Amino acid sequence: MIEALNIPPVLVYLIGAALIPLMGRGRARKALLVAVAVIGLACAFSLRSQTSWVVPISGFELVFLHADRLSLIMGYIFSFIGAAAIIYSLDVVRDTGEYICGLLYLGSALGAVFAGDFFTLYVFWEIMAFSSLGLIWYSRTERAKNAGMRYIIFHLFGGCAFLAGIIIHFMNTGDIAIGPVEHGIGYLLLLIGVGVNTAFIPLHTWLPDSYPKATIAGAVFMSVYTTKTGVYVLARTFPGAEVFILGHPFHFVAYMGGLMALYGVIFALMQNDVRKLLSYHIVSQVGYMVAGIGIGTAIGINGGIAHVFNHILYKALLFMCMGAVIYRTGKMNLTELGGLAKKMPVTTIACVIAALSISGVVGFNGYISKGMIIHAAELSHMHILALALMLGSVGTFLSFLKLTYFTFFRRTDAEAVADVKEAPLSMLVAMSVTAFFCVAIGVYPKMLYMILPYVDVAMHYDAYAPGHTAGTLQLLAMTAFMFVALKVLIAPHERVTYDIDYLYRKAGRGIIWFCEKPLMAFANAIDGVLKRIADSLVWFSKNPAAASVILLTTTSTRLMRPYTSKEAEVKQLKTIEEPRERLSIGTGVLLVLLFFLLYLVVMLIHGWLAP
Amino acid sequence: MVLGIMVLVALALILYEQQTAGFYLLYGAMGVGFFVLATNVLSLIQREGKQDD
Repeated sequence: MIEALNIPPVLVYLIGAALIPLMGRGRARKALLVAVAVIGLACAFSLRSQTSWVVPISGFELVFLHADRLSLIMGYIFSFIGAAAIIYSLDVVRDTGEYICGLLYLGSALGAVFAGDFFTLYVFWEIMAFSSLGLIWYSRTERAKNAGMRYIIFHLFGGCAFLAGIIIHFMNTGDIAIGPVEHGIGYLLLLIGVGVNTAFIPLHTWLPDSYPKATIAGAVFMSVYTTKTGVYVLARTFPGAEVFILGHPFHFVAYMGGLMALYGVIFALMQNDVRKLLSYHIVSQVGYMVAGIGIGTAIGINGGIAHVFNHILYKALLFMCMGAVIYRTGKMNLTELGGLAKKMPVTTIACVIAALSISGVVGFNGYISKGMIIHAAELSHMHILALALMLGSVGTFLSFLKLTYFTFFRRTDAEAVADVKEAPLSMLVAMSVTAFFCVAIGVYPKMLYMILPYVDVAMHYDAYAPGHTAGTLQLLAMTAFMFVALKVLIAPHERVTYDIDYLYRKAGRGIIWFCEKPLMAFANAIDGVLKRIADSLVWFSKNPAAASVILLTTTSTRLMRPYTSKEAEVKQLKTIEEPRERLSIGTGVLLVLLFFLLYLVVMLIHGWLAP
Repeated sequence: MVLGIMVLVALALILYEQQTAGFYLLYGAMGVGFFVLATNVLSLIQREGKQDD
């Protein structure tokens, strides 16, 4: 029946968000959440390629359900991990408002990927920004409040650029259907708007700033939707995008991906806060996706989208595992953690699976999609990009050896972890199912290939080609050896890390100073001048005739000053009186009527009243 | 010690016409070296203390 109806999944989550406040805080709320997760999943998986739910508004045709292979794969993974995140949150979340924000966020992300036109996409894009802000603010800490403000400022800036790009694109082409955009200022603005959500360097700083401050369940939701929706829009509008530099085409998006892959890893390696480390790895992993889309070939786009799918699985799993650790220990820094493997065995196994997946270890899902992107770069003769992405893999493995070792396996004082228990059942269920799919796709990649945008190309890709497999194993084995050898240099430190946002904050303070000091002084000066002019006009209008006499007398006295004595001047000025109202109201009304009469005469003479 | 042995193995593989295998081992070692160097250089402009934003 659901297949016959073809319901956009966004509706399920929006209705769920509307019903949640009516359910109280007990079992009814949990039952509704599970029902929403299951129905949303069923809706997404029952969709077939089509364009429907077209709503004509003011001459535009807004398309709420445009399903093709690209949007369907996004819909599958969004609804699947949404269901897992809802199950995960059942025992953690107390506030109903947090659930409302989570469901709105999940629903609007699905609305964005199934939108068939730019305006519908923009509306869901903005709902995502504001609903995810709630997931940060529900932490109810000062740090979260400030980070939330910075987050929304960034997204409003990106949203404005995105909307301006859409309007310019519409004015140039008259088309609002989502698709490739022609070069020009609209192209650039759209790329900036998408770049904010996709965390292009240097527009990425909102991500590691805000995600670590979100609630435990909120961070799981946030790790999935914003950046991946950005990658999806990038795949729709900028596949293989080039920017002309000094007249030469340059694969800007592809190389931006390579830069993100390295930049994110370097900063991740310096982090002590586990969720901040994971946040920098989102920047890095999204870099792989951006590189795949930027290469623009069928296998490149397949690789990018496959990496979106796999990354959502293992990154959500990593945030779930670290959320469970924070939930049970109350600690979030690597320097404070350690020795949890025996206390939280299921969480440890899930985290190790996620770490091996994100590192691209043979047999796990990350290996499949990373290999596909690197292969695409080599086929397109982008060898520097391929080397950069391989280097990113080395850094990622190094970083996750550090994370798992210092969180779970490092020997620590037994008393420090004596009271720690395994995560609650709902968390374990969500983590186990997600971990299963990380391994399943790694072992049997064809289950992923079947749903990729270019299925024929995907089926011809051999992930387990002997040379590629052996090379990857050697690369990662060397990294593991080096980690053991250089563990002291890589060990976590308690330090304040400065990223590019240091400059933004400096610039922000400068702008505030400029607004408060020179700009306010200028505004006050203008205000004073206008006030004096207004006072003079009021004085003059009391009795224009007398005021004119006073002005003439004063001016003439001043002009004659060199030729008259001081006494004469004082005597002359003493004769001046303050102008007073001498006209009756009737005279005033007569003057106004005369003015209107004059106005009418002028209009009639110039024929302005003629039709 | 381990590092030295691995680099020697990689060089030997390259010399004895196993370029691909040697390349991946050497690239792994160079990659880790790059990241350790990069993080230590960046540490110079970081401040010790608790991250408080």
